[in-house]
Amino acid sequence: MLFVSRRKRIQRSVPERVGNAVIVLILLLFAFSTTYPFWHVLMYSISDSGQAMSGGLFFLPRDPTLVSYDVLFRTKQIFIAYGNTIWKTLIGTVLSLALSALTAFPLAHRKLPGRNLLSMVFFFTMLFSGGMIPTYLVVQQLGMIDTPWALILPNVLSAYNMFIIRNYFQQLPSSLEESAFIDGATPPVVLWRIVLPISAPILAANAMFYGVGNWNSYLDCILYTNSNTLQTLQVYLRNLISSVGSMDSIAGVGGATASLSEETIKMTAISVSVIPVLVAYPFLQRYYASGITVGAVKG
Amino acid sequence: MTGAQISLWKRFCKSARQYWWFYFMLLPGLIYIVVFRYAPMYGITIAFKNYSVFKGFDASPWVGFDNFTKLFGRAAFQRALYNNVIIGVEKLIFGFPLPIILSLMLNEVRKNSLKRTIQTAIILPNFISWIVINGLLFAMLGTNNGAIVGVMRFFGYVGEIPNLLADKEHFRAVILLSYLWKSGGYATIIYLAAIAGIDQSLYEAAEIDGAGRLQQLWHITLSSLRPTIVMLLIMRVGEVMNAGFDQIYAISNYLVVSVADIIETYVYTLGMESRKFSEATAAGLFINVIGLTLVLITNHIAKKIDPESGLM
Repeated sequence: MLFVSRRKRIQRSVPERVGNAVIVLILLLFAFSTTYPFWHVLMYSISDSGQAMSGGLFFLPRDPTLVSYDVLFRTKQIFIAYGNTIWKTLIGTVLSLALSALTAFPLAHRKLPGRNLLSMVFFFTMLFSGGMIPTYLVVQQLGMIDTPWALILPNVLSAYNMFIIRNYFQQLPSSLEESAFIDGATPPVVLWRIVLPISAPILAANAMFYGVGNWNSYLDCILYTNSNTLQTLQVYLRNLISSVGSMDSIAGVGGATASLSEETIKMTAISVSVIPVLVAYPFLQRYYASGITVGAVKG
Repeated sequence: MTGAQISLWKRFCKSARQYWWFYFMLLPGLIYIVVFRYAPMYGITIAFKNYSVFKGFDASPWVGFDNFTKLFGRAAFQRALYNNVIIGVEKLIFGFPLPIILSLMLNEVRKNSLKRTIQTAIILPNFISWIVINGLLFAMLGTNNGAIVGVMRFFGYVGEIPNLLADKEHFRAVILLSYLWKSGGYATIIYLAAIAGIDQSLYEAAEIDGAGRLQQLWHITLSSLRPTIVMLLIMRVGEVMNAGFDQIYAISNYLVVSVADIIETYVYTLGMESRKFSEATAAGLFINVIGLTLVLITNHIAKKIDPESGLM
């Protein structure tokens, strides 16, 4: 017994062990509450509608069937909504990332005259904004209403994310840049060849921030577009969930759906929009965590 | 010119050329921020005008504070302001300590794999949109065939089950709890990172001195976290008026609008649905000015406590 580590030598008393068990139990309950609903919705969506009617917990599907997916994917709108969300996420994220890095690089250059003033210009937008209506009117004046641009441009740059990248750039050893400048490289070349390759972690984290933001955003779609051809997945889902009788519009296309309930269709639509996020989650979590920790360092 | 002067001139040219490149790279970002952030700030002027779509920004007549007077007289605005304060303060009071408590609890979990699994699970909702969460709420709390109703029926409960999602008395609780559920886990990333940075020898010394677990928690863990907590709290207080448009818009409905409507959702209804652009802009300006004031005050306090911190 003399040789066991000090940590183990101190015996835990009974109340302490009970306390620990209670803590673990509470945490497990909370973890259950944050994961079970997703499982529930997935299981419900592949259950037979009649069997699912009685509600309760779904640990396994009841009479598994994919009929609701079949019906949902026979409508055209789900493909339009999915497609819009995918291109919005891809193009939006790439543009946002490029613009953020491009803006962050000069602002990270300590010798640049006017750097503080320029930083303030960007920083102030984090404190104060014109608000929803004036922004809407600007987008309208630009003729962007009901165009694909409206889903990307109005929020293409987040000052907050840009400053996280700038802070990261500032921490890089300046000797790398300087030697490149002495060799006659121009700033864009230095950014592209030297700075970006060693900034992969922060770029990945920001790609996640922007990607998740784009995938989940719905206000821009609601504010700036009216036509169904520009509807995104989130708005499609919202309309489907909040409307009673949404079934009729879908069943009209799908055909024989007598055995399919509106609830099952709603669960299917929720599943379809959440599955990509769940699949990507392990990556998201990793890069998010690193992004927050780096972002916490002030520059 | 002497040789030294020439080389100086060359260096100047070189750095000017470099700076020119830097400003050029800044241009797209600046154009963006001027068009989509500063132009709307100029657009705030319509809060003091009687904006007409036909006359445009500049030609619409000035009306002073008329829009504000009209706005403050509206019962719906007063209600939205009241809800905004209540919901914002509730979220602050309950939402701020939750991640701290969760982190302290997670820290007590001995098995690292279990700790990581739990943390992964409780952060998950943070990545999910409020629209989807609205769907999950419907799946859990719906009165037709929701999970909770089914469980209660299973245990033989036959009484009436209120529809929490359409019930004025309970909806604020739904707002608060779903907010805690979504955001509770996220900040544990920051707190657990701070806890991991605490010197382990402190705990060992305390154990030798006979300090119990609770005493260690109080005197070592919490007091080491104090600076982090104070900073995050001050920043959080500055955002108290931000009651969460995304959430309210996604999960509320006309049955609960009287307890759920906040200023921003009211701005949306007034502006986008009733097309009262001037009054809606005035309402937005009102809340934004309060928000800005709070942030500046809290930032000032944060800087006094710790000059290194603060937003800028």
